[in-house]
Amino acid sequence: MGRMIGLRLIDAIPTILLVLTLVFVALRILPGDPAQVALGDMATPAQLELFREQMGLNLPLWQQYFIFLWDMLTLNLGRSLVSNVPVASIIAANLPYTIELTLVATGMGVIIGVPLGVLAATNRNKLPDSGVRVFSLIGYAIPDFYLGALMLIVFSLNLGWFPINGGGTDFLSRLHHVFLPALTLAMVKSAFLGRLTRTSLLEVLGKDYVRTARAKGARENRVIYRHGLRNALLPVTTGLGLSLLATLSGSVAIELVFNRPGLGETLIGAIAERDYPVIQAGAVIFAFFVVFINLLIDIAYIAIDPRIRVQS
Amino acid sequence: MTSLDQPVEAVRPTRTLLENVTATFIGRPSMIFAAVVILTFIAIALFAPLLAPYDPLAQSYLVINAYPSAEHWLGTDQFGRDVLSRLIYGSRNSMIFGITAPIIAALVGTTLGVVAGYFGGIFDRLVTRMIDLLLAFPDLLLAIIISAALGGGFWNILAVLSIAFVPGFARVARASTLAVKQEPYVEASVAVGLRTPLIILRHVVPNIAAPVVVLMTLWVASAIRLEAALSFLGLGTRPPYPSWGNIIRDGLNNIFGSPWPIIGAGFAITLVVLSFNMIGDAVRDLLDPEIGQ
Amino acid sequence: MTRPLLKISDVSVEFGPKANAIRVVDSVSFSIGAGEAVGLVGESGSGKSITSLSILRLIPDPPGRIVSGSIEFEGQDLLKLPANRMPEIRGRDIAMIFQEPMSSLNPVMTIGDQIAEALMLHQDLDRDARWQRVIEVLSLVGMPDPAARLGAFPHEFSGGMRQRVMIAMAVACNPKLLIADEPTTALDVTIQAQVLELMKSIRASVNTAILLISHDLGVIADLCERVVVMYSGRIVEEGSVESIFSKPEHPYTRGLLQSIPRLDDDRKRLYQIAGTVPMAGSVKKGCPFYARCDLRVDKCAAEMPPMFEFSKQHKAACWVTGEAEQ
Repeated sequence: MGRMIGLRLIDAIPTILLVLTLVFVALRILPGDPAQVALGDMATPAQLELFREQMGLNLPLWQQYFIFLWDMLTLNLGRSLVSNVPVASIIAANLPYTIELTLVATGMGVIIGVPLGVLAATNRNKLPDSGVRVFSLIGYAIPDFYLGALMLIVFSLNLGWFPINGGGTDFLSRLHHVFLPALTLAMVKSAFLGRLTRTSLLEVLGKDYVRTARAKGARENRVIYRHGLRNALLPVTTGLGLSLLATLSGSVAIELVFNRPGLGETLIGAIAERDYPVIQAGAVIFAFFVVFINLLIDIAYIAIDPRIRVQS
Repeated sequence: MTSLDQPVEAVRPTRTLLENVTATFIGRPSMIFAAVVILTFIAIALFAPLLAPYDPLAQSYLVINAYPSAEHWLGTDQFGRDVLSRLIYGSRNSMIFGITAPIIAALVGTTLGVVAGYFGGIFDRLVTRMIDLLLAFPDLLLAIIISAALGGGFWNILAVLSIAFVPGFARVARASTLAVKQEPYVEASVAVGLRTPLIILRHVVPNIAAPVVVLMTLWVASAIRLEAALSFLGLGTRPPYPSWGNIIRDGLNNIFGSPWPIIGAGFAITLVVLSFNMIGDAVRDLLDPEIGQ
Repeated sequence: MTRPLLKISDVSVEFGPKANAIRVVDSVSFSIGAGEAVGLVGESGSGKSITSLSILRLIPDPPGRIVSGSIEFEGQDLLKLPANRMPEIRGRDIAMIFQEPMSSLNPVMTIGDQIAEALMLHQDLDRDARWQRVIEVLSLVGMPDPAARLGAFPHEFSGGMRQRVMIAMAVACNPKLLIADEPTTALDVTIQAQVLELMKSIRASVNTAILLISHDLGVIADLCERVVVMYSGRIVEEGSVESIFSKPEHPYTRGLLQSIPRLDDDRKRLYQIAGTVPMAGSVKKGCPFYARCDLRVDKCAAEMPPMFEFSKQHKAACWVTGEAEQ
């Protein structure tokens, strides 16, 4: 098992290079001049030239590429054009909030979504099943930032139960601050996880080994939870990884809605202020996370399914 | 348990495609609901100038943050602009991007996928690797990174939205092409010397049409959501021009003033996305039940 | 004769929507005595698997349901038992082995846990005694070095070994009746013979009654004393193995017996019954075998033959042979 995980880790190296290349292509090769983006439409040609010189944008593309790769891999991220603070410390200050939000939201999504799926599957074509179906139809359709705004209006503004901005300081206040944003993302994701759990569990409950479990005298609850759910969770694990990714991307808008510090809020702020080094670093960090989460999905799969452990 | 399958199979009557279409779309309340919503919003987008009671950009400092009333059905925002009129004009964005982006992405992605799948080789490996990588990204993150480089504006938004959906089409088209290529009738066409473009046109394209159409309908809703999210983040339609996404952003900045812009715009997005999702699911069930997730 | 262990009377099973239901098992009656081995034979689609599943009330509902009849086990009608009492019977009094050893074991549980679960559900043993018993039944079914294999997962075993695990799980609680639904069909021929030998030795050591479902008359002759022949959802013949093999009375059974290849045979082609099995429930009137029968007369198409008694141990549902007998 350790060997397999090691292999996956080695396999991730070319992917990371490719991701860095992707960001490089997006930011430097696609039409759109970084200098123009950074300085705005009013910049004079001399200012543009100076900026290009400073940022090394005058060098041949292949040189820029290797410098970029080296800088990113050594975390030499430069300084913010707006505040002159090292980009690395900006990222370091904001990253924990995004990780916290993503993890709490995904956890809540599982806590809400998986039981909903079980409820729907065990009451197939009855009232609870229809209820869950309507819930997931709406969950698939409602934008997370809209749901977040509604939550903010109701629970923070009108009822005053939760703060309307910030990320909190000590443990309790951080929990207080993260609850509503996380719940927003969790509700949207639980629609997806619930539907996935339902489909997967229904499929598993039709399997021969479930019949075996019934034949040996296991009661319905035991059949569902001990024999059904464990097997049904295999596809749900992939879904969990996907929803971790979706939660990460959803966090961008949610941080804006709840005025929360975080990577997304930083990136969007940087784009608005044309803070080129921060944009570049933010994009790379997000991309790293995507690769990392995909890696986690693979590893989780190896850990859960004994069959994969033995192959190869 | 073959003994079980037999009788159950026999109960199911076989139906023609036309009967399937009828059974899927006619007489199902949810489909009628979805169709009515979509047609209504298309009409609203087309006839926005006739329907909107006010100029969506006209500011009036006399009626700031008004709550719904007979004059302003959905109230006004912090600049005194009529919210209903902004929502009506905002529908144009959603409809245009929602419908054109999947079509452009389908054309580009399908071409890439068919060429890669049919000819194979280095080009195929390159395309496949890129598809896998891009598909690993949630579409919103991909769109944010690309629009950070491109900036906002109509054509750039269209480009960003289309790029976000290209890899999905390319993967499906490539897989279908590979499958069709194995078919004896295609091998026979090659053997009798039919020209490659003709083979692709005659055998490959008709066979991949169904999955591509399914994805196109499914992703109209995704494109609408994505445009709204980008505009919300300030990376899409630029103020003062209204889009459902940036109306919500403006509303958040004015959250102590009036909740109505947020409520109205969000409701419109949810309703339209819900309807397109329902139609998309039905089209999928009808044409290609296998490519769901 | 004393009261039989299991008495199935007039059981019918339907599948599909009520308005358009298909009768897959039609008025089936037979019984099994304590310690007796009965074979249930028929082609696929004859309803034999459904009949066996109905005993434990394991027919997937929907789409299937038992619509009439009674299944008395030790005098108690299982069909009248509340659904939440059935788990007490399953695995303890009546255990079942299925056809597909590859898919009938839970892939994410160790085989030790799966066998121990059966014990845990029905017997009040402490942990050590339970594991002791698991090792005991595993060695009973011929698992080499059982103590070392407790933590292994199903995918680590061959099909034959998995079927041994299934048998171990089934006999763990010393059931009074063991239902084996085509236990050897999915296995290689040599493994089939081994599993069959195992079933025989299990029967000798555990003293359980067996209902063996098979399409293979040879397998049944090897293990059972009595045979029940099903065709298209109905029982067409029933009797002791000797009487049925020496003097089959139903034309269908005759066809089945003739189609078994023999070593002393110099026919160029194997015998086959002309035509195909009608879909269960499709024959509404008359004998379901009518269309394929060599002996048919007009009456056969009009009226379903009753079970004629040929001897105390031998009954068959055929107008021609039955009326000739009387």
